[in-house]
Amino acid sequence: MEKKTWKTNLFIVLMLAPSLIMTLGVIVYPLINTFIRSFTAKDGSFTIEHYKFIFTDDIAVGNIIYTLWIVVVTVIGSIFISYLLALYLRFTDSKISKFIGTLYILPRFMPTLVAVYAMITVIRDSGLLNRISVLFGGDFKPGLMYNAKGIILMNLWFNIPFATMIIVASLSAIPDSIIESARDVGAKKLNVFFKIILPLSIKDVMIAMTFIFMSNISSFTTPYVMGGNNPIMLGVYLRKQFSEYSNYELAAALSVVMFVLSSIPALIYIYTNLKEQEWEKTH
Amino acid sequence: MTLGLFNPRRWYYILGRKKITELIILCVFIVFFYGPLIHLFILAFADKYEYPWVLPREFGIRWWEYVFKQKSLVSSMSLSFTFAFLSTAISMVICLPAAFILSRYNFKGRKLIMLSFLIGNAFPKIGLYTSIGIIYYKLGLMGTFVGVLIIHMIESMMIMIWLPTSAFRSVPRQMEEAARDVGAGPVRTFFSITLPLAWPGIAVAAVFAFIASLGENQGTLLVGLPTYKTMPVEMYGVILDYPATAGAVFALILMIPHLLLLLLLRRYIGPETLSKGFKMN
Repeated sequence: MEKKTWKTNLFIVLMLAPSLIMTLGVIVYPLINTFIRSFTAKDGSFTIEHYKFIFTDDIAVGNIIYTLWIVVVTVIGSIFISYLLALYLRFTDSKISKFIGTLYILPRFMPTLVAVYAMITVIRDSGLLNRISVLFGGDFKPGLMYNAKGIILMNLWFNIPFATMIIVASLSAIPDSIIESARDVGAKKLNVFFKIILPLSIKDVMIAMTFIFMSNISSFTTPYVMGGNNPIMLGVYLRKQFSEYSNYELAAALSVVMFVLSSIPALIYIYTNLKEQEWEKTH
Repeated sequence: MTLGLFNPRRWYYILGRKKITELIILCVFIVFFYGPLIHLFILAFADKYEYPWVLPREFGIRWWEYVFKQKSLVSSMSLSFTFAFLSTAISMVICLPAAFILSRYNFKGRKLIMLSFLIGNAFPKIGLYTSIGIIYYKLGLMGTFVGVLIIHMIESMMIMIWLPTSAFRSVPRQMEEAARDVGAGPVRTFFSITLPLAWPGIAVAAVFAFIASLGENQGTLLVGLPTYKTMPVEMYGVILDYPATAGAVFALILMIPHLLLLLLLRRYIGPETLSKGFKMN
């Protein structure tokens, strides 16, 4: 590093200034403003009535529970399936597994709305599934639109590739030699999984869970297009308060609540990591 | 002979259990992840698609003609590309200097600055957009061109800081020093050594920023209506109001740039950079 003169310092400041000013003005300032606004009554005085409303109003509480329920099912479902898929991709060396290994990345790049629309044309009651059932003489109505099932199905579609990617990377870091040596001394397959593979990959699984939880708490597009009218997910509820009722204070409080909800798993993750480090220090 | 072509037992004996399981996994995978997309593709070229036919009865480009006759849809296409191009270009101009500084100089608060560029990702997107919307109402930016452009730049600025910073960092310092030793000034060194070597990483970032802007729908829906309807915003209406065949055409049009740009990336830069790139998002 060369010695810093006032010229280099000025240079650094000038080069950083535009992007920093943009970030502060467009992201940081609105967020602070939202936080303050969420504690402000219509007449400008301090209040917690908006938060009280969110946690006591029947519709609002219903929406929170509905959102959490969908997100938890999404997290568990996509992690479970992704783990199986990742195990298969990592430990099977065949043409088919390589083929899937290249294909599973593409859905990450689909524009959200295109993917949602493609799924709708298949699962709606006059969609492809129904038409196929008519071909075989039945009349199967999937009933996946305008309720939680369709949203969860779509969430799986979006999140499985992402989670699989993280878990595959984690499993690839486990050297074959460890597994082979365990097998050599007679460990059963299940034992190898629970004693070696799972403990070595659990951290990345938790990262994937955290990400999926965070992004789905605030999801908007899928529930907006595929969800019903009541209950609705928090993202849709927020937009309704903002665009339809122009209730900015409540919208502000709702965004803060969403932020807190979405950061819970991240906090848990950080906390357990710190605990672990302490444990390592003392033992 | 009971073992016909469609008898599963026959296939079981020919292929073995492992192959069968693998084939089942492959089928389920393709049907779930690619089935909807393939179906969309078929619908887009269906001239006749009446209930309850599973496949269209006639193929053609009738619905493409129909979509290109809808004025609002066509103008949304050029609007989308305008926003994508402008937001990418402006964030490049704003962020590349910062990315270079962050890769070359160590100073107090460097980490904090790096993290501050990620803050937009830590807060729920829809919450961030409403927060910005509240300010927009005060400033009269609601439903304006600049307002929408700023929304599009949030994502692209994050990409344009983080990816180019690591691209600049991977340029070997020795090469820059060698250029300086033979008498090149700092500006010339930057433009003839550093920038060309970091270019692939910057190009990846630009493509990601462009794609992010093309796909952006929540923020534009929130602050752009009723004047500025980009393709994804129009898509909301198309899902509700248009026949499935026309919707499929429009969805394909929305998808094509994504596929093209990614194919381009794959060929020139390779899958590793690609996967590195989207881990950041």
